[in-house]
Amino acid sequence: MTEQKKGGIPTPEDGSSPAGPCTDLPEGWAYDEGASGIGPLSVELFRNIGKPLKRREDHRLVTGKGQFTDDFTRPGQCFAAMVRSPYPHARIGGIDASAALELPGVVAVLTGSDAEADGLGPIPHNPVPSTRFDVKLRAPDGSMPFIGPHVLLPTDKARHVGEAVAVVIAESKGAAEDAAELVEVDWEELPHVADSLEAITDSAPRVWDETAKNTLVDSSFGDQAAVDAAFAAAAHVAKAEFHINRVTAVTMEPRAALADYDAESGRSTLYAGSGGAVRQKRELAQVLGIPQEDLRVLSYDVGGNFGARNRVYVEFGLVLWASRRLKRPVKYTATRSEAFLTDYQGRDLHSRVELALDADGHFLALRADNISNVGARCVSLSPLSKGSGLITGSYHIPHAHLRARAVFTNTMCTQAYRSSGRPEVTYAIERLVDIAAEEMGIDKIALRRRNLVPPGDMPYRNAVGSIYDSGQYEANMDRAMAIFDWSAIEARRAEAAGRGKLLGVGLANYVESSIGTPKERAEITLSPDGRIEVVIGTQPSGQGHETSFAQVVADMLQTPVERVRIVIGDTDKVSLGGGSHSGRSMRHAGTVMAMASADLLRLARERAAERLGLPPGDLSFEGGAFSGRETNRSVTLAELSTEDDPLFAARTNEMHAPVFPNGTAICEVEIDPVTCQIGITRYASIDDVGRCINPLIVHGQSHGGIAQGVGQAMWENCAIDPESGQPLSGSLMDYGMPRADNLPFYDCEIAEVLSPTNPFGIKAGGEGGTTPALATVTLAVLDALRAHGVRDISMPITPQRIWQALSDAGATAFDRETAET
Amino acid sequence: MSQSEIAITVNGTERRAEVEDRLLLVDFLREHLGLTGTHVGCDTSQCGACTVILDGQAVKSCTVLAVMAEGAEIRTIEGLAEGESLHPMQEAFCTHHALQCGFCTPGMIMAAVNLVDRHGPDVDAETVRHQLEGNLCRCTGYHNIVKAVLAAAGAQRTPAE
Repeated sequence: MTEQKKGGIPTPEDGSSPAGPCTDLPEGWAYDEGASGIGPLSVELFRNIGKPLKRREDHRLVTGKGQFTDDFTRPGQCFAAMVRSPYPHARIGGIDASAALELPGVVAVLTGSDAEADGLGPIPHNPVPSTRFDVKLRAPDGSMPFIGPHVLLPTDKARHVGEAVAVVIAESKGAAEDAAELVEVDWEELPHVADSLEAITDSAPRVWDETAKNTLVDSSFGDQAAVDAAFAAAAHVAKAEFHINRVTAVTMEPRAALADYDAESGRSTLYAGSGGAVRQKRELAQVLGIPQEDLRVLSYDVGGNFGARNRVYVEFGLVLWASRRLKRPVKYTATRSEAFLTDYQGRDLHSRVELALDADGHFLALRADNISNVGARCVSLSPLSKGSGLITGSYHIPHAHLRARAVFTNTMCTQAYRSSGRPEVTYAIERLVDIAAEEMGIDKIALRRRNLVPPGDMPYRNAVGSIYDSGQYEANMDRAMAIFDWSAIEARRAEAAGRGKLLGVGLANYVESSIGTPKERAEITLSPDGRIEVVIGTQPSGQGHETSFAQVVADMLQTPVERVRIVIGDTDKVSLGGGSHSGRSMRHAGTVMAMASADLLRLARERAAERLGLPPGDLSFEGGAFSGRETNRSVTLAELSTEDDPLFAARTNEMHAPVFPNGTAICEVEIDPVTCQIGITRYASIDDVGRCINPLIVHGQSHGGIAQGVGQAMWENCAIDPESGQPLSGSLMDYGMPRADNLPFYDCEIAEVLSPTNPFGIKAGGEGGTTPALATVTLAVLDALRAHGVRDISMPITPQRIWQALSDAGATAFDRETAET
Repeated sequence: MSQSEIAITVNGTERRAEVEDRLLLVDFLREHLGLTGTHVGCDTSQCGACTVILDGQAVKSCTVLAVMAEGAEIRTIEGLAEGESLHPMQEAFCTHHALQCGFCTPGMIMAAVNLVDRHGPDVDAETVRHQLEGNLCRCTGYHNIVKAVLAAAGAQRTPAE
């Protein structure tokens, strides 16, 4: 198995060994304090790490001084508006801009032909996850998949409603929008397909003429023979089919971009909030065909990301291109309607799962068939990939087999969305476990307890090859049940029934993977005045990096946290960095900042030794100063720094081993059986985030994550009319959102089981709220409706869906009312 | 495009301008006055990021034409702090981590200030939640926002009460 050691997750050809304790950990998996240069961590000296410090970002944001993209204005700027396809699939016969160009204030109308003539390339998406630990997704013939070139403006046809086919530039926003309506496109409507189950069939309309089928990825994982044998021998098999519906991020700040071109230097500056300015610079320079040095990208305050902003958008390239052609600044700000049509969307996974159990309820094997709808182009396979590695969830399932497919449709592209891929598979396994428990007459908690991966088996390799680093899954469940006051459920159910309400409780365990771009860089400068500047390549969009990162550096250098300033989001300062996604930031940034801090202290120690005339080994470092042991001589870090030669250290680190945050969440709902109104009455969770740097921030992440998961389960849905292919959720008036009055307070606690893969033992804290929430809400609703014969319900669980489920189960409104009285 | 002269008092200072009749109040604040703290998050008056206080009432400034605000007194997020000292609501939002990305925050704070003005220091959580239903936040799940508003409201109680 040397192949596995090098390659991490086994490729399909490898077959795989049964799941269990991982005895052949890959090289470099465990953190090595010697090799990292950090040495033993002085945990007892931590003054800031682990403390709920108030955020330093907040002052500017609560006083209206935030710097969001649309807040920037350049002298002489003009405005861009898009001409978008009204059809899901249509050939472009021609584009006539003459009427638009006659409107006062219109500067230019540019089309795909102009872009082609100027040699613009497609956005170089690299959708196939490529770290050593990502599962390997391939085309049906085993090659790298065709992804559908993402040109800024297509010349052949539009492949989804809302696809931009021309851009209008005008002196005012109003003029640009008015003119966009006057651009005449000669459309030839084509047959379309929106649902992935339809799209995989041979008779489906083809999204790309370049490929024979819409299926772009078809890969299998796991040991099929072992799985078949286990199913043949099983005492019971539970089966289910789910669709984890399509949703969208709804970042409160609509995406925006302002491009400025300096003809003198030939340099462009792009103000554009994103999930990482470095990627934007690299990929947009490639689109434009200019050297990376000729592009500066600025991403300051970002009004939410959740994955949607990680990848490049065509509009960013369009304003850059237009501003270079016109030699004027060009600004584009999406309307909310445009955001609903053309923000990268999330989820949309069909999953068919089967679980084999022995007579005692021990899990024997799992089969899964997952189909991801990537939309009109393949921007990212992260959701399919992440989910594939976690199909067995928090449970010991000796064998598993998965077929993972991705398919093109005439819909907006999907992308990683909060907790990419993990809520989908968590939903599938947790619902399947509840189904098995009911069918076998085993208590659902007892069944879970029987099968959770025990702490003694960590690190644990699951049946598709993911190595769970650490965790105490059963303890999580027990703690969540204690927080929730599980034993009081029946009393609460009776009390609710007395009020005519149906009460239900759903519990879900989860484990998720945090992988992310493996490289990160930190540059730390300590000035003679004692101030510390840290340049880092992550990109917060509300996660509080300016605070939590400062806490880490302050403790490493033993200086007050107020002295540390975090610099992000300007590619002229940040040369390298993976951005923020997949819960990678605290772990990657924390590690590389600790390394750079250690380097800086080594340099400082040498200087101190020289200054004090003592051997470096004779110096102790405490409170930000070096002193000679048993002497009264000491020197501070600031005193070792000069304007000409400040204390400086830079470190680039590559870290591949993923971590596996985990936990348990419990939701309680009350349903009015007559109106079918549903309300969440309690929500409790426990999240093992590894070491928690700032609990105030981590709790905030849990809360927001829960709301986003609950949102998908209860209200959110990117509905598409199957006949016309038209998106039906085009505004906040027809896309249900979590609001202040439809959510409860949450009872969240943090578990800190340190990960052995990095110096601080960090896992991740951004996505655990979302991962189990789809399952907890659904299971709670099913628990509430069980007595009325309802066994299945799909998301979003609206009152209408509940009414339908009750009616289908034969429970009339009258029955429901009288049953409770 | 027809134009009109307007005079609006914004954060205590009278501002005069000639504006297109179709100009929204929020665009007047952001583009003409450079007060970019008031944000635009939607186009259907749903999100509340543009909330300002107009003659004592919280309004969504994307749903008010600039010409309709002629002669009005408007308070925006930029006019809330007194010099260096934050308004108690701003302070409470920081203390309770009631903001993450901060985009909805100005509108949320203005709506919160106004609701406490209307409901007094003893306002309860349910009322706060109901009153903020028209202000969307995607980051916090509202938990800490509601706590912050209750704390800021409670802090207004005079010791005699």
